[in-house]
Amino acid sequence: MTILRYVFYILVFPGALFTIAVGLFMAGIDRKVIAHMQKRVGPPLRQPMYDFFKLLGKETIIPAKANRAAFLEAPVLSFVSLCFIMLFIPIFGFTAINGAADMIVILYLVTIPGAALIIGGASSGSPFASIGISREMVTMMAYELPFVLVLLTVAKKVGGDQLVFNLSLVSEYQAANGSLLSHWSMIPAALAMLLVIPAEVGTQPFDVAEAENEICEGPLVEYSGSPLALFKLSINMKMIIMTGLFTSMFLGGIRTGFVALDAVLFVIICIAVMLVSITTIHAVTARLKIEHLFKFYWTVVAGLALVSTILVWIGM
Amino acid sequence: MTIFNYIACILLIVLGLYAVCTQKNLLKTIIGLSIIDYGVNLLIVSTGFNDGGSVPVYQMSDLLNGVSAQFFVDPVPQALTLTSIVIGACVNAMSLAIVVMIKKKYGSINVDDVRRLRG
Amino acid sequence: MIQHFPVLAVMGMFLGAFLIEIFGSKNAAVRNAISFITFTVVAGLVYALIKPIIIDGGVIAYWMGNWEPVAGYAIGIGYEVDALGLVFAIIAITAFWISNLYSFGYMKGEHHLGHYYTLFMMLCGSILGFCMTGDLFNMYIMVEIMTFSAVALTGFITDKDGALEAALKYLVLCSLGSGFILTGIALIYLQCHTLNIAQLASMLSGGLTPTTLLAFALTVAGFGVKSFMVPFHTPLADAHAVAPSPISMVLSGVVTKAGVYGMIRCIYIMFRAMDLTQMQIIITAFGAVTMFVGVSMALAQHDFKRLLAFHSISQVGYIITAAGLGTALGLTGGIFHAMNHMLFKGLLFLAAGAVLHQTGGVTNLDKLGGLSKRMPHTTVCFLFGAAAISGLPPFNGFASKWLIYQAAYTKAAETGNFYYLIITITALVVSVMTLASFVKIAQAVFFGQLSEENKDVKEAPAIMLVPMYILAALCLLTGIFYRPIAADFILPAVRSTVDVVKYIDVMMGEGYAAAAGVYNMAVSNVMVSSWSPIVYLILFITVFIAAFIVILGSKSDRGATVEVDPKNAMKHSNFFSGEEPVYSHVGGSDMLWGYKYDFKPYYRVMEELHSGRVTDYCNMVVIATAIIVVFMFMFMR
Repeated sequence: MTILRYVFYILVFPGALFTIAVGLFMAGIDRKVIAHMQKRVGPPLRQPMYDFFKLLGKETIIPAKANRAAFLEAPVLSFVSLCFIMLFIPIFGFTAINGAADMIVILYLVTIPGAALIIGGASSGSPFASIGISREMVTMMAYELPFVLVLLTVAKKVGGDQLVFNLSLVSEYQAANGSLLSHWSMIPAALAMLLVIPAEVGTQPFDVAEAENEICEGPLVEYSGSPLALFKLSINMKMIIMTGLFTSMFLGGIRTGFVALDAVLFVIICIAVMLVSITTIHAVTARLKIEHLFKFYWTVVAGLALVSTILVWIGM
Repeated sequence: MTIFNYIACILLIVLGLYAVCTQKNLLKTIIGLSIIDYGVNLLIVSTGFNDGGSVPVYQMSDLLNGVSAQFFVDPVPQALTLTSIVIGACVNAMSLAIVVMIKKKYGSINVDDVRRLRG
Repeated sequence: MIQHFPVLAVMGMFLGAFLIEIFGSKNAAVRNAISFITFTVVAGLVYALIKPIIIDGGVIAYWMGNWEPVAGYAIGIGYEVDALGLVFAIIAITAFWISNLYSFGYMKGEHHLGHYYTLFMMLCGSILGFCMTGDLFNMYIMVEIMTFSAVALTGFITDKDGALEAALKYLVLCSLGSGFILTGIALIYLQCHTLNIAQLASMLSGGLTPTTLLAFALTVAGFGVKSFMVPFHTPLADAHAVAPSPISMVLSGVVTKAGVYGMIRCIYIMFRAMDLTQMQIIITAFGAVTMFVGVSMALAQHDFKRLLAFHSISQVGYIITAAGLGTALGLTGGIFHAMNHMLFKGLLFLAAGAVLHQTGGVTNLDKLGGLSKRMPHTTVCFLFGAAAISGLPPFNGFASKWLIYQAAYTKAAETGNFYYLIITITALVVSVMTLASFVKIAQAVFFGQLSEENKDVKEAPAIMLVPMYILAALCLLTGIFYRPIAADFILPAVRSTVDVVKYIDVMMGEGYAAAAGVYNMAVSNVMVSSWSPIVYLILFITVFIAAFIVILGSKSDRGATVEVDPKNAMKHSNFFSGEEPVYSHVGGSDMLWGYKYDFKPYYRVMEELHSGRVTDYCNMVVIATAIIVVFMFMFMR
């Protein structure tokens, strides 16, 4: 019975099926809203899904210079690890694998898809991909510092002088004391986190690693067919996971008592977060240079997070 | 009396450190290391010294029957010093051997020339 | 019977060394047989101690020549093995056993191999003795033997560029460190008239006099040199880079740990100063600086093994930080990380050695590339090691780093001290920078495009692959089953570190510690852990395989060679915007550009500091030692 439950968690809710469906849906909304912001009509909401199935049907070409095993395994690794991460993020009151992981584990688990992308890109043997993975790695280093600061700030805010890394406890704390965003000392941290999300997902202006018009999508340049579909899907899945992480850290605390209703509310809030952090920023900015990105994250964003950390540390 | 020993050993150690830190010639660096070693040896052998103490040859029963340890020169530091001198000699031999080979290979024993590994 | 094992292990190692010098200098088979048998027997002797010491929680005391203490004064040389020493001894002997196996393949064809194995076994024997001895001067002797054999082995292949230079720098700096340790020992003897660690622990319990304080500072600095924490780290990077790879493995996996062990023994047991806040602050500060400087220097390196060497420094920084926190959790994380570091860094050095061996000595990151197609097994092992050192779950690096983060953050939360939060953040950020530098190696050496010179590179021979696979398996297993290992293997060592009373009583007789008024250090004994990777991993692998088969398996002709249709060749070549494909490998220097650009001023300073002049390095050592001494006299009186 336990095994069946876990299989259900992984394959349906909140694992693969839920993450894929919501991710594709969110990608559709993202595209549609950006189109409207730019006075275009935009594609239908189902367009990302059509793209995905179209790519699945295409031929998979493996370059002669590529390392076949790593080239094919990387997208699957990225996809599968993303299916698992959602199990550790509480959907308000509900966490699939409760108490099995904490913020630090999640911090590392969200690194794995990035690492998979890097290995995939590197194994293709293309110079464009090599430049892409170099940028991807610098981006990861850039957002890690503010990300870590935000996580530790939340832990301190919730735990006081206790060690609280568990996200379920963060959720419970918010149910008791109101969402963390309503505490004014956490607002800079929330802003920093909103800026970390687009870098983690890889959308404009932080998509230097996959810059289409200078390095031909970087790590993805040699990919085609179903591996490419998986990588594209991974990007969409990251949207729900990162916004979900934001929601459970800063906007948690809602309890309706029904998991299904919770999930619906959760998705709605996630979409709202996405509209703020991904869509709006995407629509109004142009791509940064990699050195500017690194400096931006280690000064402005980390500074925002640090303000919050200090405020929380002195007991605000 | 021993106070002079301590002053001398501190002087030797400082002198050795000075040589190691400032001299550009590798041989002088090694001489500096030896001087440090001598200073430390002097320190060790001074720790066991008792002014007017006798030779430390006793039966175990003498010790247990209250012959105080104040009256003989402590033998342990002398043993330590011997060991330490042997080790110092080994350090010298080995470092000098390496310096000879460096001279053959690099053509110089100036520290400014022996710096291929850096950064 | 069992109390003879520690001495037999040390003596067996030295005996083997002499036997090789006598019988094995000509015949390779005899030489290999002697070294393999000696290492196996000694490993057996050391592992046999697990039952009485780690499982039953005992301490083995042994007096050389049966010179037992008289009237409460230790007059003979005593060996005393507690769980802390045994864990480090096990780390050492395991690393040496594997490295010895690898040497058979790697060192084949070198000259004077008899001397090589002699020195190698002396190095092992000295480290075993260092971990098991209960006598301070004996500890110093073992450190000196260790330094000698390490220096000689570093410069063993004298033709190699820079080997002699590295050996000399190593020797000069370690001699300085030994000088500090010896001065400290002399001062301690001056004050206490004994050299037995157990007795010293009971005598030094009532606070420190200025003499013992100076001795303490000098000993800490001396062992700091031996563990190569920043700013004593400079010769380590040179030595690891030029030494033969099996030696690099033991240098980074064991010799640096010996310094850390000396520090733990000295601070926790002998002086028992670890419950002082100032002590915790200075040790964690050195640890954090070591972490950051090590990893940031690694990111700028162009040489495969030199890069790994800087990572050794960085990881030792983790261990020192964790041990310096002064909590049971921190010490658990630190000792666990010491073990894990031996496993994954050994694996990485062996992988580097395989590359070096097969490509004919190339370690420049700009000249390699695309080797994953030629050396698939080495690549797999390297990726395992890289994932472990970057702390990706479920490998062992994650488990121990995770304990260290928890320890550091708990310390920050409990004391409310912002300083420990900075330590936690440093540890977390250093981890992702570690990942970055391994991405750099992966791209520059194993992935990317294969150059013309390396076209005919073959996979390493089996005798070199077997040790690598052993280490890779251990990396994964210790990561998955980290809970039983931390609880049943590391925690006894932590308990024995904290339980000074028992350490004294076993050595000096029951009730000795109580008579001297020794108390055990107050250490919060919490073990926070909720991450259970086993379920996660089983599910993960199952789903991974299923997904692979469902999504890609049906269509891809995986494993088969691609039949490139000559008419359609462009389809399978890399994308070059329609141009003719050319060799264009992105090497190590081209990676991580944005980061390097933003850190330019920092690297300019660092290049000044790592000037390569031995005098500059000595200056750094002397200044840092002066800082330690002054700090202790200012804040710890």
